[in-house]
Amino acid sequence: MRFMMLMIPKGYESAAPDAMPSAEAVAAMMKYNESLKKAGVLLALDGLHPPSTGARVTFPDGKPHVTDGPFAEVKEVLGGYWMIQVRSREEAIEWAKRCPASSNETIEIRQVQELADFPPDVRKAAAGYAEMQPHARKAS
Amino acid sequence: MRFMIIIKATPTSEAGAMPDRALLEAMGKFNEELVAAGIMLAGEGLQSSSKGARVHFSGNKRTVTDGPFAETKELIAGFWIWQCKSKEEALEWVKRCPNPFNEESEIEVRQVFELEDFGSEISPELRESEERLRAELESRQKKA
Repeated sequence: MRFMMLMIPKGYESAAPDAMPSAEAVAAMMKYNESLKKAGVLLALDGLHPPSTGARVTFPDGKPHVTDGPFAEVKEVLGGYWMIQVRSREEAIEWAKRCPASSNETIEIRQVQELADFPPDVRKAAAGYAEMQPHARKAS
Repeated sequence: MRFMIIIKATPTSEAGAMPDRALLEAMGKFNEELVAAGIMLAGEGLQSSSKGARVHFSGNKRTVTDGPFAETKELIAGFWIWQCKSKEEALEWVKRCPNPFNEESEIEVRQVFELEDFGSEISPELRESEERLRAELESRQKKA
């Protein structure tokens, strides 16, 4: 089963556009990333620039409407993610607990949808989707 | 530059409802356009937060909370990773995306950190191990 570990750092919702993690934090995180890789569970990972450099698109009346970041009244935002392949939700939680995260950070664990989770008509309509992604991982 | 295109959750997605055929077809067509333009690197949907969990960190303490989580509008239903020339290009593509749900929905565009964004902040050793990690992940994906 594939899971996403979504890093939600408190305060990142109002971080300056040039905010960056410290070299020490990056080094600690790299050690953790290495351990995920060594265990053979790591599929992908990325960090995201602060939301103040991002944008949101809504579709009122079906028409796209763009709002530039930072986003007012937002309580939590994504700071980055890991995609892991593990045997169970419990194993995913165990890996999240080992992360060298700071106080006031939260990791949300969410299972990734696999084609096999869908009814046959949806599977048929989505056929070929996996092949569309050059960097896609085949579900196993 | 790479962007993460985040499809925010809605009451429908959190209820675990399946998209209808018309929406599936529209999304399939959009995905094909992304591939043809060489933009799409990855894309996944997530199961509803009711099946998820959160680990909160405070000093040495870790607190696990089972889903569902209350702030539906801030939750994530799915995402793409795109390769674009600029944020503007990413936004142009998002504007052409079919409304992902048959209700009010929201898509967030966020730039992904690349090694060069860190400049001299990162030591040569760290840079090397990060590059090695990425190269290994990529070769594993190709084998999969």
